[in-house]
Amino acid sequence: MEKLFQRKVTVTLKYITVALVSAILLLLIESSFAKREYAISAFLTVGLIAIAITYLTNFSIPMKFFLPGMFFLFAFVVGPILYTIAMSGFHYQTGNYISKPESITQILAGGIRPDAAQTTFDIIIGEDPAKNLEILASDPTNKKYFLATATTKTDLDPAGLAIDGNGDATVAPGFTPLTPSQQAAEDKALATTRFAYSSDYFITIEGGNVASLKEQSLKYDSSTDTFTNVLTHAVYRDNGTGNFANIKDKNDQLQPGWRAPIWFENYAKLFTDPQIRSALIPVFIWTIVFASLTVLTQFALGLLIAMTLNRKLHGRRIYRSILILPYAMPSIMSILIWGGMFDTEFGAINHLFGTHVHWFQSALYARLAVIIVNLWLGFPYFYLICSGALQAIPAELSEAAAIDGASSRQIFRKITLPLLLQVVAPLLVASFAFNFNNFNIIYLLTGGGPQNTLGGAVAGSTDILISYTYKIAFSAGNQNLGLASAISVVIFVIIASISLYGIRRSKVLDSFK
Amino acid sequence: MKKWVKEDLWRHIVLLVTCFFVLFPIYLVFLSALSPTGSLQVTSFIPKTISFNNFHLLFHSPKIPYLIWMKNSIVIAGLVAVLSVVIGAASAFSFSRLRFRGKKQGLQLLLLVQMFPAILSLSAVYVIMERVYNFAPHIGLGTEPGLLLVYLGGAMGVNIWLLKGFVDSIPIELDEAAKVDGASAVQTYWLIFVPLAAPILAVVSLLSFIGTFNEFILARLFLVDQNSRTIAVGLQSFISGQYATNWGPFAAGSIIASIPLVAIFLSLQRYIISGLTAGSVKG
Repeated sequence: MEKLFQRKVTVTLKYITVALVSAILLLLIESSFAKREYAISAFLTVGLIAIAITYLTNFSIPMKFFLPGMFFLFAFVVGPILYTIAMSGFHYQTGNYISKPESITQILAGGIRPDAAQTTFDIIIGEDPAKNLEILASDPTNKKYFLATATTKTDLDPAGLAIDGNGDATVAPGFTPLTPSQQAAEDKALATTRFAYSSDYFITIEGGNVASLKEQSLKYDSSTDTFTNVLTHAVYRDNGTGNFANIKDKNDQLQPGWRAPIWFENYAKLFTDPQIRSALIPVFIWTIVFASLTVLTQFALGLLIAMTLNRKLHGRRIYRSILILPYAMPSIMSILIWGGMFDTEFGAINHLFGTHVHWFQSALYARLAVIIVNLWLGFPYFYLICSGALQAIPAELSEAAAIDGASSRQIFRKITLPLLLQVVAPLLVASFAFNFNNFNIIYLLTGGGPQNTLGGAVAGSTDILISYTYKIAFSAGNQNLGLASAISVVIFVIIASISLYGIRRSKVLDSFK
Repeated sequence: MKKWVKEDLWRHIVLLVTCFFVLFPIYLVFLSALSPTGSLQVTSFIPKTISFNNFHLLFHSPKIPYLIWMKNSIVIAGLVAVLSVVIGAASAFSFSRLRFRGKKQGLQLLLLVQMFPAILSLSAVYVIMERVYNFAPHIGLGTEPGLLLVYLGGAMGVNIWLLKGFVDSIPIELDEAAKVDGASAVQTYWLIFVPLAAPILAVVSLLSFIGTFNEFILARLFLVDQNSRTIAVGLQSFISGQYATNWGPFAAGSIIASIPLVAIFLSLQRYIISGLTAGSVKG
C-alpha cells in the first residue's frame, strides 16, 4: 500500500516537472520566434519534442537517462563549437557585425544630406485626425505653408490661416498639436520619421520647432543590389566580402558592412597575411615552449618530492600538507598574488634577492616569471600523481635489482622511471593539452605583455595562442570574431590530435565496443 | 647518525627549500592582509604592527560588496556542483550500463567534446547569449542564470566522462542480479547505482564546485554589474588598475575565500586524488 502511494507521488512529481520544463521551453520558443532567432527556436522545439516523447512514452529507456545531459551538452558545448566553425567562415568583425538587410537600412539612414539651398522650415509637431505624426510647416520668407505626414503632403492656402508675428501658421484644419510630454513620448519616432515633401526630397525634424529639407544622397537599387551617390554618380557594389565598395576604387567602402561568408579566407590569412603571420608565429612557438616547459618542470619537481617522501621520514605529514597547499588554494588568487610579488619597485621577489629586475618589462624575465608561477601552481598535482604511482610499483623489483648489484641511480633510470612513465604518460599529455590553453595564468599574470615590438598588431611576448585569440576577439578597438574563430578551430585541431594520441596510448577507445 | 645524514638529510633539504617556495607567497598574503597600510609593498618581512583593518573593510566598506560576491560565487558554484552531477550521473549511467543504438557514436562525441576547452568557443558563447538576451533578458548575457546555464553545459562533458569511468568500475554483476530479480533500469539506477556511487558523486560535485569557484573569464565577460560579480572577478577588480592600496583588502578577501576550499581539499584529498588520476585537470 505504502509502495503504491510512493509510486503515485513520484509519477505525479515527474509529470509536474515535465509540464514545467515544457512550459518554460514553450515560452522561450515563442519569444525567440518573435525575435526572429529561428536557429534557437528550432533547437528548443527539437528539445521540447524530445522531452515529450521520452518522458511521456516508453519510446526509449536510455534516453530518459541521457536526454537532459545531452540537451545541455548540445546547447552550450556542441552548439558553440559549430557556431565557432561557422563564424570562422565569415567576415565578422567590428564594422561587419550586422546582417546585410540591417546594413542596407543603416547606410540608407546615414546617406542623406541637406538640399542645395539648405531650406529649413518652422514647424509645429502634432498629429492628423488618424493619430499619425504630422507637422505643420511654415516658410515665412516665401509665404508657403503645408501639412506633412510620413506619406502625404497637403499644401495650405495662406489666406485661410492664422499667422503669428513671426509669419508662422499656428493652426490648421484637422491638425492637433502635441503637448511637450506627448512629444517626449514620441521621441524616437520624431527623430527617425521622414516627412513627405516631394519625390526626391523629404523633411526631417532638427529640433522642437525646426525642420530641414533633405535628400537621399545614397540611393539603393534592389534590382541590381547597388548604391549610387546622386552627387558624384559613384556606384557601389557588393564586393563579396561584406561591404558595398566603389566599383572604381575598391577601398572606398560604405559603412557599416555586414557579416559575409568568405569561406576559408580567415584561414588563408593566418598563413598569407604578413601582419597576422608575423604575430602568430612567435606566439605559436612560445605556446609550445610554455606548455612543454610547464609540464617538464612541474613533473620534475613533483617526482622529486614524491621520491623524497616515498619512505618514512620525520615530519612527513606536515611536509605533505604544506606541499599540496598551492593546489588547494583558488588558483586565480594565487596568480594575482604572484603578480604583485613580481612588482619591480615594491615586489617581494626583488626585495628578497636584493635585485631590481623589471620582471614584466622584459620578454625573457616575464616568460621566466610565468614558468615559475605555473610551477608553483602545478607541481603538487604531479607530486600527488607520482606518489600514487610510485607506491603501485612493487618493491620486489628494486630489491631484486639491488641484490644484483644495481646502484640506486641505475634502479631509478632502468626500473622506476620507465614503470612510472607508463602510468603517468597520458596525464602528461593531458597536462600539456591543458596548459596549451592555460588562459588564466597568462591573462592574470602578465596580460600577455610585454608588448612585442616585432610582433605586429597586438601580440605580446608572453601571449599564448588562446590569450592572443581572446585579444583578437574582445580587444577594445577592432574585434575580429571571424579571425578569432579560425584560430580557435586550428587550436582545437591541434589539441584534439594531441589528446587523441594520448588516449589511443591509454587504450580508452578499446572499451567502446 | 651517519646513516641519517646519508639517507635523510638531502630529503629534508629538498623538502624545506620547496616548502619555502610554497609558503613564501602564502606568508606574504597574510603579511599584507594584516598590515595597516594595505599594500603588497614589502619593506620588511617581519610585521611591526598587526591590524585587522583590512578584514574590517571587507565587511563594512560600502564600496566593497564582498559578502554579495561571496554569496554569488557560492550559489552559482553550488548549483553547478549539484545540478551538473544530478544530470551527469544519469547520462553516465546510461552510457556505461544500458544498450542502445548510437551508443558508440555518442561516446565518441562525448570524448571529443570533453577535450574541447570551453574557452575556445568563448566568442561563440558570447554571441549566442547576446542573442538569447534579445528574446529572454532573464537568462541571456549579463545575467547570473545565463552564466549558470553556460557553466552547466561546460561541466557536462567532463563530468559525464569522469562519472562514466567510475560507473564502469562498479561490478556489473550487481546490475545483472537486480535484472534477474526483475528490476527495471530506473530501479537499478536509484536502488543500486546511486547508493553505491554516492561518495563518487560527492567527489565529482566537489571538483565541479572548485572548478566553477575558480572560473574567471566567463564570469568576467558575463557579469558586468558590480553586485552580480563572483568572488574571483570581484577580487581581481580590486587590484587591476592603479589602486595598489587595495592589496590589503584583496589579501584579506583571498584568505577568507580560500579557507573553505583548502579545508575541503585537505580533508577529502584521498577521494579527490582518485578523481584526479582518472583524468581531470584542475583549472
